[in-house]
Amino acid sequence: MRLGIVRGHVVLNPAIEAYGGKTLVVIEPVTMENLRAGNGRGGGKVLIAVDELGSAEGQMVAFTEGREAANPFWPGSVPVDAYCALIVDSVDVRQ
Amino acid sequence: MYLARIEGTVVATAKHETLGGCRFLVAQRLEADGGAAAEPILVIDWLGAAKGSTVVVSTDGDIARAKFGNTTPARLTVVGIVDAVQTPANAEGKTA
Repeated sequence: MRLGIVRGHVVLNPAIEAYGGKTLVVIEPVTMENLRAGNGRGGGKVLIAVDELGSAEGQMVAFTEGREAANPFWPGSVPVDAYCALIVDSVDVRQ
Repeated sequence: MYLARIEGTVVATAKHETLGGCRFLVAQRLEADGGAAAEPILVIDWLGAAKGSTVVVSTDGDIARAKFGNTTPARLTVVGIVDAVQTPANAEGKTA
């Protein structure tokens, strides 16, 4: 997983049937420098992920990428390649 | 699989239902020259890696699926804590 900050939500209309009812969030990945600084900045390349946890803008999340991102929809077949697995409460990193 | 150094810990209350009780660690992938990647990764650990430990991280979610079930989004797991890395430049395998 990588860490990122939620920057917004994406609404699709129309969308493929498999995406019905799913929430998509815009995530800006966080660099180690910004994570250490705890400055709320990201710095990575923005991507879209499916979110089922109800994360809000400004919150830090950890997201899975690749085939495993579709596992939560198993045994269904949904074309998801990024998935919010958790919302970060706190981070403790070495300075 | 690759080498990574553990840099910290993450606490998360809201998480996928399969990830209850998991230990989440912030890590940085290590390059051949000993440098670290600019972007951190979040790995799941059940071996007890400490801050500053060098570990081997697997990107294969199969081990996570076997442990947490078919619907788990977990992918990066700590599969071992490094004792020594032996290379021609470090033939004695000094502790990483």
